[in-house]
Amino acid sequence: MRADKKTKALAKQLFKLSVVNGAVSPEQVAGVLGYIEKVAPRNSLGLLKLYRSAIVTELAKSHARVEHAGPLSDSALSLIASAMTKKYARPVSATAQANPKLLAGLRVRIGSDVYESTVSGQLTTLSNAV
Amino acid sequence: MLTLLLAVTEPAAHGAAPGPIEGLKDTFAHFGVEPKYLVMQIVSFLILFGVLYFFGIKPTIATMEERNKKISDGLKHAEETSVRLAAAAQESAALIKAAQLDAQKLVDEARKSAKEFADKQNAEATARAADTLAKAQQAIELEHKKMLNEARGEIARLVVKTTEQVLAKKLTDADRAAYNDAATKELSVS
Repeated sequence: MRADKKTKALAKQLFKLSVVNGAVSPEQVAGVLGYIEKVAPRNSLGLLKLYRSAIVTELAKSHARVEHAGPLSDSALSLIASAMTKKYARPVSATAQANPKLLAGLRVRIGSDVYESTVSGQLTTLSNAV
Repeated sequence: MLTLLLAVTEPAAHGAAPGPIEGLKDTFAHFGVEPKYLVMQIVSFLILFGVLYFFGIKPTIATMEERNKKISDGLKHAEETSVRLAAAAQESAALIKAAQLDAQKLVDEARKSAKEFADKQNAEATARAADTLAKAQQAIELEHKKMLNEARGEIARLVVKTTEQVLAKKLTDADRAAYNDAATKELSVS
């Protein structure tokens, strides 16, 4: 069942209430969920799906997943996190994930944005250029 | 005749002659010719001649003259007809000649039109063949380029794959750490 316009507008409004200072607030999220549970608005299941999708997207924007091949120091990870925090103007955390297919280098994913500096990426670019 | 002369000359020889009229009468009497019968015979002959002339000779002469006139008219008409026939023959010859010229002209025009049509058809066929040939050449060139691109892509893919395999074996942790530090600096700056 697809959500109607009113459900979408309500989900958007509840999402705005859940974000405080550019970051998702767990207390606000708990309050929103309590409100939904208490009031039980029309099409609450569709509303919860839309709200969850918005929260996940927002959390992804606050989290950088760093794929790497070879050793990666904590200082490098924290340097990337601080650079992304500065770039997106919000607190961004970073977690490392090994990916040997990259051969060497880093690939950073924040939400739908991808920053890459890897040997495999350069080889792929070279292959596409040829 | 001799007898008549003897009868005429005999009285003259015997004495005094009575005269020519008398002599003629005697001669007629001698031969049994009566003058009144002779006159009647002459009158009868004239009557018969008149009847024959008016009812036989004159119509016959008129008929012959009429026939002669008809013949002369016919001959004259025949001459005119021959002249007219000659003129008609000449005119028909001229007409035939003109018709032959027109027919020849038409044949020449038809031949010329047929030649032009054939030339046009040949030109169109040649242009069509050239167009088909050009399209075929373009298709061949496109196919050639496509094949080259596919071969180039396949070669590049093989090169990259081989390079990846070599790098995966040859790169040490130190190399990867150095590359990761450089990548960290690059991503931090951007």
